[in-house]
Amino acid sequence: MTAWQHSLQTKLTVSFIVLILVVSGLTFVFTYGESKTALKETTQDELRGLASVIATQIDGDAMATLRPGDEETPEFLAIRNQLDTIRLSNPDILYLYTMRQVGDTVEFIVDADYGTDDGAAIGDVYDAVNSPLLAGFVAPSVDSEFVTDQWGTILSGFAPVRDSSGAVVGLVGVDMDSNRVIQRQDFVGSTIFIVIGIAVLIAGGLIALFSRTIIRDIRTLNATANAISTGNTNVSVDVERKDEIGELADSFGRMAASLKIMMDSDPEAK
Amino acid sequence: MNQISQQVLDISVQYLGPAAERFLERQTRAHLNGLLFTDLQKSHIPELTSWIRISAALIIDKKKADEFALKISRLG
Repeated sequence: MTAWQHSLQTKLTVSFIVLILVVSGLTFVFTYGESKTALKETTQDELRGLASVIATQIDGDAMATLRPGDEETPEFLAIRNQLDTIRLSNPDILYLYTMRQVGDTVEFIVDADYGTDDGAAIGDVYDAVNSPLLAGFVAPSVDSEFVTDQWGTILSGFAPVRDSSGAVVGLVGVDMDSNRVIQRQDFVGSTIFIVIGIAVLIAGGLIALFSRTIIRDIRTLNATANAISTGNTNVSVDVERKDEIGELADSFGRMAASLKIMMDSDPEAK
Repeated sequence: MNQISQQVLDISVQYLGPAAERFLERQTRAHLNGLLFTDLQKSHIPELTSWIRISAALIIDKKKADEFALKISRLG
């Protein structure tokens, strides 16, 4: 009996499982990477579109007049309440605010969170300025990667806010919590992983079964050959297959039958 | 060797290999009144078939012996 580690069944099964794991691993890496990118791009498109729509709803004329200390004015409260209502109606939005450029700095105008610990007041300077934010004063834009600032790790979309004359008076920023996007990416990754895992298990089972039937028939042929080699010609080849092993068994059966006939000393016996 | 003998031999070789002729000679001598295999006629086929079915089953798998005998019977 061949030791299990030298068995053809072990070698076949291990080889195929390694092959499947390599192929499925590469498929997973490629599919997950592509899905992750596609999901981020979809989220970016959503954010860009959302910021554009919100920007058109904000009263640019009123926003342009707001200065530090105007937090209790009806204009400020109207815009803040409007932003708060929009944010509440869309659970994907973490923060919603407007900003303007003052010289080289960017400062908050209206923050939907004003009045809470996280909220910014008019004129509060935003320190983590990046190029997508600056581009948002010109046209709708979105962060290319997650940005970490004092409010957490987020993905932001920006769109310019215009007054009644069409002049840009600031921008609206829409922040989405990175956890939401990462959760979606993880869900896609887990789903792909589970599907590939199930496929590997099924394929592994089928390969083990397939190699087992091959090895069983090879062992039968081997047992028959062993019997004949020790002088026992009273054997038959009990292998029924339509493949190459079946052909081998047929050839072997002919050989065994011939030997049996030739070795039979009594010409009248059969 | 006549045509029918050759046809029987061709089929038999597929199941019994190079010793097929010796096997057939034994069958005809022992069961067809000492007939030489090379003198086999179509009229002998039914009886030869039944002996092949019995004798071949002692050498090869019974299922294959039946298949072998069926092919021989079609020559009759």
